[in-house]
Amino acid sequence: MSSLIVKRSSSRFSHVDFSKFHIFLSLNQNHKVLVSGLPPVLIKTIKNPSWSYLSVSRYHNFAHLSGKDKVLASGFRVLKSLFSTQSAAELSTSDGITVDGIVASNWTILDESESDWKSHAAAIAQSIQVIKRRLQWKKLMVRLDLLSVQLNKPDLWDDPVHAGKISREHGSLMAKMKKVRALEQELLEHIDMIKLAREEDDNELESEMLKALLQMRRNSNEKEQEALLSGEQDSCPCYIEVQAGAGGTESMDWAKMVMQMYKSWAQRHGYGVTVVDEMPGEIAGIKRATIKVDGEYAFGYAKAEAGVHRLVRISPFDSGKRRHTSFAAVAVIPILGDGFTHVPINESDLRIERFRAGGAGGQHVNTTESAVRIVHIPTGITATCQNERSQHMNKDSAMAVLQSRLDQREMARQAQVNAHHTQSLTDIGWGNQIRSYVLHPYRMVKDLRTNYEVTNPDSVLEGEIDGFILSYLSALLDKDEDCRNLSA
Amino acid sequence: MKLGLSRACFYSSCSASIFSSSIPSLTTIKPKIPLFLRPPTYSVASSDLQKWHGWAKSLASSVGSSFVESDDGPDSTLLCRELNWLLEDSLENRSSSSCFSFAACNYDSLDGIENVMLRISLDDLYQLWKQRIEERRPFQYIVGCEHWRDLVLSVQEGVLIPRPETELIVDLVSDAVSNNEELGQGLWADVGTGSGAIAIGISKISRSYGRVIATDLSPVAVSVAMFNVQRYGLQHVTEVRQGYWFEPLKDVEGQLVGIVSNPPYIPSDNISGLQAEVGRHEPRLALDGGASGIDYLLHLCSGAAAMLKPGGFFAFETNGEKQCKFLVDYMQNDIAGSFCNLNIVSDFAGIQRFVTGFRQ
Repeated sequence: MSSLIVKRSSSRFSHVDFSKFHIFLSLNQNHKVLVSGLPPVLIKTIKNPSWSYLSVSRYHNFAHLSGKDKVLASGFRVLKSLFSTQSAAELSTSDGITVDGIVASNWTILDESESDWKSHAAAIAQSIQVIKRRLQWKKLMVRLDLLSVQLNKPDLWDDPVHAGKISREHGSLMAKMKKVRALEQELLEHIDMIKLAREEDDNELESEMLKALLQMRRNSNEKEQEALLSGEQDSCPCYIEVQAGAGGTESMDWAKMVMQMYKSWAQRHGYGVTVVDEMPGEIAGIKRATIKVDGEYAFGYAKAEAGVHRLVRISPFDSGKRRHTSFAAVAVIPILGDGFTHVPINESDLRIERFRAGGAGGQHVNTTESAVRIVHIPTGITATCQNERSQHMNKDSAMAVLQSRLDQREMARQAQVNAHHTQSLTDIGWGNQIRSYVLHPYRMVKDLRTNYEVTNPDSVLEGEIDGFILSYLSALLDKDEDCRNLSA
Repeated sequence: MKLGLSRACFYSSCSASIFSSSIPSLTTIKPKIPLFLRPPTYSVASSDLQKWHGWAKSLASSVGSSFVESDDGPDSTLLCRELNWLLEDSLENRSSSSCFSFAACNYDSLDGIENVMLRISLDDLYQLWKQRIEERRPFQYIVGCEHWRDLVLSVQEGVLIPRPETELIVDLVSDAVSNNEELGQGLWADVGTGSGAIAIGISKISRSYGRVIATDLSPVAVSVAMFNVQRYGLQHVTEVRQGYWFEPLKDVEGQLVGIVSNPPYIPSDNISGLQAEVGRHEPRLALDGGASGIDYLLHLCSGAAAMLKPGGFFAFETNGEKQCKFLVDYMQNDIAGSFCNLNIVSDFAGIQRFVTGFRQ
């Protein structure tokens, strides 16, 4: 199937007039930049299967270097400004249209159902801009240049740990950059093809390209969302901790409701949920609890929930039926994988205690309670686990929590050094009040950071919190970008 | 066995009578299969299971702290956690047990499922939970297993349920082995192995090099230990022998690189006041250490002197500080010259629990 299309499209290019070929020749220099700057690998990153024929045709072009076949490949010019690096070069169509240009020209964006290529292109270009903003594009490019310079230093591998870190970061930023480049290129290629089809009155090709643009437009929302989670730790699993505020049983009940909200949310997303530690309240609810949430981007999403959550309702624990306000604090800690540097822990710095142990122990006692508390003496940081069925496993679990807490503490410390990170990181610890849940006298859940609100608290408490999370993450990144622009 | 009894000068007449009254022959004892390993053949309406869960929960709640006050037994919170684990072990699909355990309000998530598959009948579940609360039958006997270190060991009446404290013996051995390669390649013994816990724990450490022989006087313990060894596929490195302490090890006298043991160490006088789960249900044979509780520990010390190679390592669990100090004093003075580098190690509750040392 694809080979047929290749034949068809290459025969199509044989009709290309010479004026275009001249353009190609005159821009040959830039063309080289393009080819080297955007290796064929990039084309492979176009995931949509319906587009495979394009990639194949590109390979075809490179393989049979017949001059006319090369027109399409060379149709893209690279507008290189004097000081920018190769990676920052801007892509354009054969007649000089760029993604920013599309946005700037304010083409009307119509409904998806309208078959208007300009409308689709404008919508996609806007998405690309959103994605770039969320990736903090300019900062990413600067960082990438910096890392490239460091990678080229001959003495880099004298410090393998540092070198590994540099090359890992470079690889991950490079991948992000290439994904966006691929999107841009795909869009511009389609536009070129549509123009070509129109020139040649090829309705079939035009409608195919239109369909392809529509598909891109539909996928772009998802890509925008992906870009929200571009932080280094976002893909990690995480711990979510909930702690009841002051106020006795009512706030312990609230803490339990909040924890339940996250359990349901995690289960909805297909994440694995394990209770690591749970301290029940005397009458109801929990004093505190820690769950482990396993799955892709668990931290990236859940980090938006860190802070104090406030509840207003008529307390079922108050015989006087009065209105109560309670608080529960939520912390979210990433569980860094093997690829990350961990804070080293000296065994001699640890005090491991049997939790709630009393009496003679040993053979005297038969208990299924084998909770363990580990205290990291230098920092005073503790971790407890009581929900595993053996002491050994409780200890392992508590150690993992302790490691993550120490890692997070170290990240926060480093973030203070790199001031530009401070904003997003301080938000992750126990923080300010972020959301208000009112069950009486009216019903509403409102995020105090974004003003995002929902009038059905039940659905929220049943775990429908994605709206809050996404609106916060977008707001956070937009804010970051604004700050950066101001300081730039 | 009679041989063992007659030679055991410390052997209390009391435990001997318990023992002799119930000697099944080794070949007839088939270990019970733990609940979580049984086939899920019982189809039960989820509403009926919910009913049982509600009943069991309220029974657990009714306990409050009364067991704690009477003999330091479990409180409601702990019993509720055990209830969740019982459910986890009974249900075919473990993850659906979380629907129950997370919160009562989460029952909804099971509504879509008409029937659930259980490894045990609902009647038996009622029966078992009643036994747990009313008879104080240990939870581990109810589900037929104990989670110990990263192992899940089969246990049943007649076999001591391995304690969390005892997990540390494996760490002590692990430390000793990592400091001395020779220890990892030789022959070890776990005497009075019970469920086989320590033997299996240290077999997993020295898997490719060393071997472990586990002994126990109790035929039930021997068959349970064998079952557990097989379940972890360690029969090539771990051998279980029946007999009194070192009796079955005569062929390897002086050849052991390590001896570990958690012998009975509770003073006889304390037995009647034990927590109900222990005193009423666990084998006295595995608990009663004679008048001062130290009879078997002393026997082990003199036995270890004969059985260990020079440089061989031992780790024994004790009743606490008093026994630890007594043993160290005994080894330094009464049988001076046999052992060196004696050390007392505390458990995670801060109680001096273990004595370790090396054969000189």
